[in-house]
Amino acid sequence: MSENIVIKVDDVSKKYSRGLRHVMLYGMQDIGKNMLGLSSNPEILRDGEFWAVKDVSFEVKKGETLGIIGPNGSGKSTMLKMLNGIFMPDKGKIEIKGRVGALIEVGAGFHPMLTGRENIYVNGAILGMGKKEIDKKFDEIVEFADIGDFIDLPVKHYSSGMYVRLGFSVAVHSEPDILLIDEVLAVGDYAFQAKCFDRINYLKGRGTLIIIVSHDMNKIAQYSDNVIMLHEGKISKRGDTMEVISFFRIFMGKQYIKTSRVNSADFVGRFGSGDAEIVDAVLLDENGQPADVVYAGNRYIFNVSIVFHKDVDNPIVGFILNSSSKIRLYNTHSFSRGKKLGFFNKGQRIEVSYKFEANLLRGVYSLTPAISYSDGFNFYDCRNNLITFHIVDNGYAEGLVDLKANIAVKSDQKYEEF
Amino acid sequence: MERDKIIIYTPDRFLQIGFLNQWREMFLSLFLSRELIWRLFLRDFSAKYKQTLFGVLWAVLNPIIVVGVFVFLNKSGILNIGETTVPYSVYALIGISIYSLFSTGLSVTANSIIGAGSMVVKINFPKISLVISSFGQALVEFAIRIVLFAVVFVIFGVTPKWTMVLLPLAIIPIILFTLGIGFFLSLLTGIFRDTPHITSLFTSFLLFLTPALYPPPKSGVFVILNAWNPLSHLIMGCRDTILVGGISNVSGFLWSSIFAIILFFASWRIFYLAETRIAERI
Repeated sequence: MSENIVIKVDDVSKKYSRGLRHVMLYGMQDIGKNMLGLSSNPEILRDGEFWAVKDVSFEVKKGETLGIIGPNGSGKSTMLKMLNGIFMPDKGKIEIKGRVGALIEVGAGFHPMLTGRENIYVNGAILGMGKKEIDKKFDEIVEFADIGDFIDLPVKHYSSGMYVRLGFSVAVHSEPDILLIDEVLAVGDYAFQAKCFDRINYLKGRGTLIIIVSHDMNKIAQYSDNVIMLHEGKISKRGDTMEVISFFRIFMGKQYIKTSRVNSADFVGRFGSGDAEIVDAVLLDENGQPADVVYAGNRYIFNVSIVFHKDVDNPIVGFILNSSSKIRLYNTHSFSRGKKLGFFNKGQRIEVSYKFEANLLRGVYSLTPAISYSDGFNFYDCRNNLITFHIVDNGYAEGLVDLKANIAVKSDQKYEEF
Repeated sequence: MERDKIIIYTPDRFLQIGFLNQWREMFLSLFLSRELIWRLFLRDFSAKYKQTLFGVLWAVLNPIIVVGVFVFLNKSGILNIGETTVPYSVYALIGISIYSLFSTGLSVTANSIIGAGSMVVKINFPKISLVISSFGQALVEFAIRIVLFAVVFVIFGVTPKWTMVLLPLAIIPIILFTLGIGFFLSLLTGIFRDTPHITSLFTSFLLFLTPALYPPPKSGVFVILNAWNPLSHLIMGCRDTILVGGISNVSGFLWSSIFAIILFFASWRIFYLAETRIAERI
């Protein structure tokens, strides 16, 4: 392993058993074989087993911070456990240079009957800190936790926030060469979180290699030099932080559409006399291709096909855009533009295209096409929330509307716009 | 410096590092975790007796009750226990305290790993420290009972032999024997949650097959049973150092001790080899 590389993961795989029966059965088999000094043949996938992590390889250099992201169940925590030495890989090899510490289980070893003071020593010992080290850092740890006089009370009297602050404080003062962080950062109030991140930055500055697993893209973006994305145990994308996060966002957008079926009865409804019928509707991108994901700021075409079952004079066509929270965001029709459409014969078919710019931020939206009588009050056909789609943006803003704002900062020395 | 050490994780890694290195790792791991063992032991000890009414007295309450029952049964003729050189209560008390070192020892060690909870699957630390520190509770209990012996000796006017000072040495084989079985049980409990229950049923039963509450039988099938039960020899040997002034059956005690030592090392090795598998299955 070259000088600079501190962690090398080489073609690593790990399998899990489905179902309790297999857990127990295979557990016995594997342990039995291991006890006799035999291999348990881990590369073979037995009935009822699946690969939680498959053929994963990556390297992390000294002082680097790697982010690992992915949907739930993609193998992130499993990978972290292997780096931590809790699980052994079933295939491949992991090489690590230096002492590994983890911010994963906060307050490990805490006994509710013992005081905070006593528990600091227990937790510290479990994390690998000797008594001398804890003695030296004791005051710092107590101060960082900021729980006041409660330090001398049994831990069972602590609020969950205090418990976490104390546990976190001990963990954050062990100074490993490699720090693994798993989702535990979503605890504590804002001030405490800020303190923790300061500390993490301090460790980063000292050359600590950090691996962070999180669902919070902001944190990942802020701290990671590189990111890998896992899906179903394999790496689907790796590289520059913003690139991978972008890819992940789009991926999750597509996943969301697949999984969210807007089916509630009051959300989808249809009414109208039926003398004119909306027979088909589709959302297309600029090039006329069906769009399953809509990108903020791009142009799209909402195509509606209408068939007339009777002679119709001057109908009004239009559509409504609703947010997922049923706020009517936009409503336009031919009448508001002062246009009379004319006479249509029975049997005629027309295509109405609404071309628009999707100046909205990420979220779920729906389109309601309608055609009404010339009085604008009675409807031939109105299909509520016929098309649902998901908008993906670049993460620059939050809310509903995309104002496409730019930010410029000017000082005596320089001018920056971004 | 730690920095230069490269850790390598591969499947079946211990198969690759070889037999001798395995043992080296085992001893090193145990040595490095000595402070952790002490801390965990202190934690469990202080927590156990805090906020209880009787505190440390619980350690002596149990044997007193059991012995009390047997004294009653003996006196009233329901059970015919046989002749003992000292008052029966004293004899039984010593016997059951030594046996408890074994039975309580098994019970606490069997539960030690799953009792640690999510810590085992989230943090990497030598799990053997859990087993050993939990055994400490059984040792402490035994030590408290020895104090009880002193009181009882005075009450019944019994003088212990000077060899009693060798008791700490004499209990070493039984400690190794218990830990030997305990290492294995702690792993088994990770898979089969009812292992501690089965174990305690077994030790309750074994109590009556071992000459702890009664002197060793001179005739009948029990003689053979006794001769082949290592626990019998170890318990009798310890009791002899207190009451007799020397071990009556030296050969029995010797082979039982050797058996205990072998069992201990074999079991320790098994624990080391299967340790990480347990974290996966818990």
